[in-house]
Amino acid sequence: MLAGGIWLLLILAGSLWMAHYSQTAGSVGAPPERWPETSQVRRDPERPQLLMFLHPRCACSRATLGELELLMAHCQGLVSVQVLFIQPEGVAEDWVKTDLWRSAAAIPGVNVGIDHEGGEALRFRTATSGQALLYDLNGRLIFQGGITLARSHSGDNPGRSALEGLLRHQAGTLASTPVFGCALSEKEARDECTTPCQP
Amino acid sequence: MNTITPPLNSALQQRASVLFQTAENDLHRHTDHLFSRLMIVQWLAGIAAALWISPLTWIGVSSQVHVHVWAAVLLGGAISGFPAWLAWRYPGQVVTRHVIAVAQMLTSALLIHLTGGRIETHFHVFGSLAFIAFYRDWRVLLTATVVVAADHLVRGMLWPQSVFGVLTASHWRWLEHAGWVVFEDVILIVATRRMLREMHEMALRRAILEGSKAEIERQVVERTAQLSQTQAELLETSRLAGMTEVATSVLHNVGNVLNSVSVSSEIAATKVREFRIGSLKDVADLLQEHADDLPAFLTTDPRGKVLPGYLLKLAAHLADPQQAILQEMEVLRKNIEHIKEIVAMQQRYARGTGVVEPLSVADLVEDSIRINAAGFSRHEVQVVREIAPVPQVKTDRHKVLQILVNLLSNAKYALDQSNGDRRMTVRVGVNQTKELEIAVMDNGTGITPENLTRVFSHGFTTKKDGHGFGLHSGALAARELGGTLSAHSDGPGKGAVFTLKLPLPN
Repeated sequence: MLAGGIWLLLILAGSLWMAHYSQTAGSVGAPPERWPETSQVRRDPERPQLLMFLHPRCACSRATLGELELLMAHCQGLVSVQVLFIQPEGVAEDWVKTDLWRSAAAIPGVNVGIDHEGGEALRFRTATSGQALLYDLNGRLIFQGGITLARSHSGDNPGRSALEGLLRHQAGTLASTPVFGCALSEKEARDECTTPCQP
Repeated sequence: MNTITPPLNSALQQRASVLFQTAENDLHRHTDHLFSRLMIVQWLAGIAAALWISPLTWIGVSSQVHVHVWAAVLLGGAISGFPAWLAWRYPGQVVTRHVIAVAQMLTSALLIHLTGGRIETHFHVFGSLAFIAFYRDWRVLLTATVVVAADHLVRGMLWPQSVFGVLTASHWRWLEHAGWVVFEDVILIVATRRMLREMHEMALRRAILEGSKAEIERQVVERTAQLSQTQAELLETSRLAGMTEVATSVLHNVGNVLNSVSVSSEIAATKVREFRIGSLKDVADLLQEHADDLPAFLTTDPRGKVLPGYLLKLAAHLADPQQAILQEMEVLRKNIEHIKEIVAMQQRYARGTGVVEPLSVADLVEDSIRINAAGFSRHEVQVVREIAPVPQVKTDRHKVLQILVNLLSNAKYALDQSNGDRRMTVRVGVNQTKELEIAVMDNGTGITPENLTRVFSHGFTTKKDGHGFGLHSGALAARELGGTLSAHSDGPGKGAVFTLKLPLPN
């Protein structure tokens, strides 16, 4: 009986620890409210521009791409999407082109590119893999955050719902959601984390 | 109609109940062992899944082991370890299977979490319920269902997206999920009850079979005892029949010799009767009458003068029958000696029954021939001996003699029925398989093929006054001696060979 009680307590503690980890968001950084002029990314003049930064080896971002796929299916033609994979300094391009790259490239309507040495991530001041930024036709930031509700977990979430609402109604105030993923770079993780962003 | 009496029925039910409980306990123990292995496999599968899906967590180019890997190792180990230990240490216990049911459902939750909430992983819950149904215990299914329902209730309240995949789930959504589990439970419980009923029926049938088997075994023991007794009686009858045969042969020989004794005594009596006792008395009376003047009578009286010559003639006349009587007395003595020998031999063999001793095969053969000698002589049977030098044999002399006397008697009978040359050969030797062979061959009536297989059967005989014991008891005696008795004949009129084979000492 006592052994069973201890066993259940151990499992409860482990489960709570897991839940805590899963729901611990990463840093959202401080994305610019206007599209930065210095950005190398070409903004679509006819449709809102969704920019997403991903760490090419972040396991949690697999769920993010799953949600992006759903978003693209629901909002086909309403948005231009650019997914940028961070290529840290000193690593080869092969390091970037993982299964995540292939998954992203396979989503219809999604452009995939490499963010060499994280230059664009710095310009857009993003810190966590899976962070999405939506700029309207005027180059105004109308959404920033993640599109999952927890690390590695796909499913309905406020981020995807907000994006779908914004794209369907072409208007709205700035929406922000937490991001669940790995830190894009050591510097950002060190300088900008306001909440525990390391696993 | 079932005619089982209430006490028997009760005992049967009790036995069936014991058998059912044993089978159920075996099932529980077996399923516990199955789950103990499954727990370990699931634990390793969880670790493999974590290593495959999310091996590392990254900060730029730096990485470390992902929390999911640690969760798979530690939390998975905790979930699986305790029930696996219980299954190993306390198999068959009620608590073991309930803990296993709880652990199995928690494993489902962990695997779902490790795979990022994949809907496909939820099938683990339903597969696990089917596995848990192996216990054929609805209470264990209930435990598993309670765990699933509680997990959905708690997580549905605190974090609905993690369990339902939507943000705005109803507070009663957990009931829908639990309902599907209950749906499977109902099917499994119905199947389980059916299987338990079948187990009950099997236990009852097995109890009935056990009862039947015990009765059959009892009857077999009883019949075997009866058979053993019958066999012993048959052996004793055969032995007595064999002894009777030997005794008959002995008496037959004694009778023959007694005939000679009778003839000799009659001759002696006749010869004695032929003695001229009257003439001798007349001479004695005459001498008595002239006792006073005997010299004058012998010299002057004409009767006295011839008297010496008459006495000489009388003496000469008495010498022949005396010689004949002496000769007959000698024959008589020899015949009486012969009877004495036969009786002594019979006594020797009668005493020897059951005693195993080293014996000369040639002596045994000679004794058996001697017992039948008078018969052979009277029926004009020529006996040829082909006796090779063979080592002594350790055996029961009475049994061998019984067999040989019977074979010789049968051969004599077969020769008596034929018209040709009456010749019997007794051959002794060692065959290729190093066995002693004593063959009694005759050129008599022979045996038909259909009778050849029946001659050793009890009660089978072709003799008018036969009983069918001789060869049967001979074959049994040969088997008791570790040997065999076999027959061969090329057919009617072509004689027969009976061969006794006995083991020789190494």
